[in-house]
Amino acid sequence: MLKIENLVYSIGDFKLGPVSFSMEKGDYLAVFGPSGAGKSLLMELIAGLRFPSSGSICIDSREYINTGAQNRPVGMLFQDYALFPHLSVFENIAYSLKLKKTNRSTIEKRVKELSEYFSIGNLLKREIEGLSGGEKQRVALARAIAYDPLILLLDEPLSALDEDLRLEAVETLASLKRAGQTIIHVTHNRNEVGTLATRNLNLSDGQIK
Amino acid sequence: MKIRNNFNYTHSLFILLGGVILLFLIAPLAGMFLSVKAPELFATLEDREVSESIFRTLAISALATGIAAIFALPLSYILARKKFPLKGLLEAIIDLPVMIPHSAAGIALLGFISRDSALGSLASSFGLNLVGSNVAIAMAMAFVSLPFLINSAKDGFAAVPVRLEQAAETLGATKFRIFTQISLPLAKRSVVSGLLLMFARGMSEFGAVVIVAYHPMTTPVLIFDRFNSFGLSYARPVAVIFVTVTLILFILLRIYQKRKC
Repeated sequence: MLKIENLVYSIGDFKLGPVSFSMEKGDYLAVFGPSGAGKSLLMELIAGLRFPSSGSICIDSREYINTGAQNRPVGMLFQDYALFPHLSVFENIAYSLKLKKTNRSTIEKRVKELSEYFSIGNLLKREIEGLSGGEKQRVALARAIAYDPLILLLDEPLSALDEDLRLEAVETLASLKRAGQTIIHVTHNRNEVGTLATRNLNLSDGQIK
Repeated sequence: MKIRNNFNYTHSLFILLGGVILLFLIAPLAGMFLSVKAPELFATLEDREVSESIFRTLAISALATGIAAIFALPLSYILARKKFPLKGLLEAIIDLPVMIPHSAAGIALLGFISRDSALGSLASSFGLNLVGSNVAIAMAMAFVSLPFLINSAKDGFAAVPVRLEQAAETLGATKFRIFTQISLPLAKRSVVSGLLLMFARGMSEFGAVVIVAYHPMTTPVLIFDRFNSFGLSYARPVAVIFVTVTLILFILLRIYQKRKC
């Protein structure tokens, strides 16, 4: 499914890698590490937002090392959710589908399906401003998987949530896992992925330990 | 208690000093408006030369702003997003028209568009004489007012979180779509403010315009022409009408800036 080999990236004095690991479809990989370990850099490299100096990123036996983020089958949930504030909840979720010129009825069907799955059906006409942290996270998750990416990257998905919303969010992630979504979950908190992760990876100072 | 008295005294002094500056800004304009008699004003409003010059000034400035925006907005975006060698020099060049005397800008432009120049001779080969044309007026307006658009739009683009652009990229957006669908709508307020500022600054320009095109007359040139030829009482009503048009635009700009996104 995903095979990363000898991935190396340098920025200033910091060097990430060489990093190598692989995942099978449906795996839930937790990447641990303290702040500054290079976790977010690794996510951005897999997403195609940065390009490594060397290495290989194969997804379903296809090399993506020189492919930009727009053409990678990788969805990403950002730490701050990065929802588009000038678009409604519906338009946020439908964004990737509109880019792919999906017809209107298919978009409406898919957004309805996702909004029911994430219990946000009543929010579709709302603006992003005014949503709670938990609602924003569910909208961002719906947006990230709307076009069925093969891999979903979660960058510290629970860090912006209050304690009482975390359990709810963990349940949402667990249901995605049960649905067979391949997930890489980056966190500095081992406890939050205890019941979710099928595999772990410990990153420290740019190296896998 | 003593500190409180000192505080009030300082602020009272500041209000007094600030009041002098406000009076300095308001008094000449208020005086000009009050000294114009209604019959003069109505006669000037019916003067075709005045109405045509106002229409010409607004139309050329709007056109210059629109055309310049096609080139200026991508530049603003690059300046907001990219780091590159000599960026500081480039930003200084962009600010240059604000610093140099506008008559000097007019002289520089005149050399650039005269028949002897490459651009002027190219235009001549198509039967166009740039000097003294609407094109020359538009170029002079754009030259002196472009920094307002570029800098305002640059600040607007810089305020758009890079994360949003990255999110759009992971969802499949090309760089061009990211610009048109994410960055530009989110920087809209600054971009529109910049466009209005450029338009307002361009239509008010006299120094550069009068050098490249005395005729056809824009309103600032007409005000100068009437003052030079007939005196203050002939120039004043035209000035009052033009300042009113400018004030309306300025009020619209302020309303737009204060509006909720």
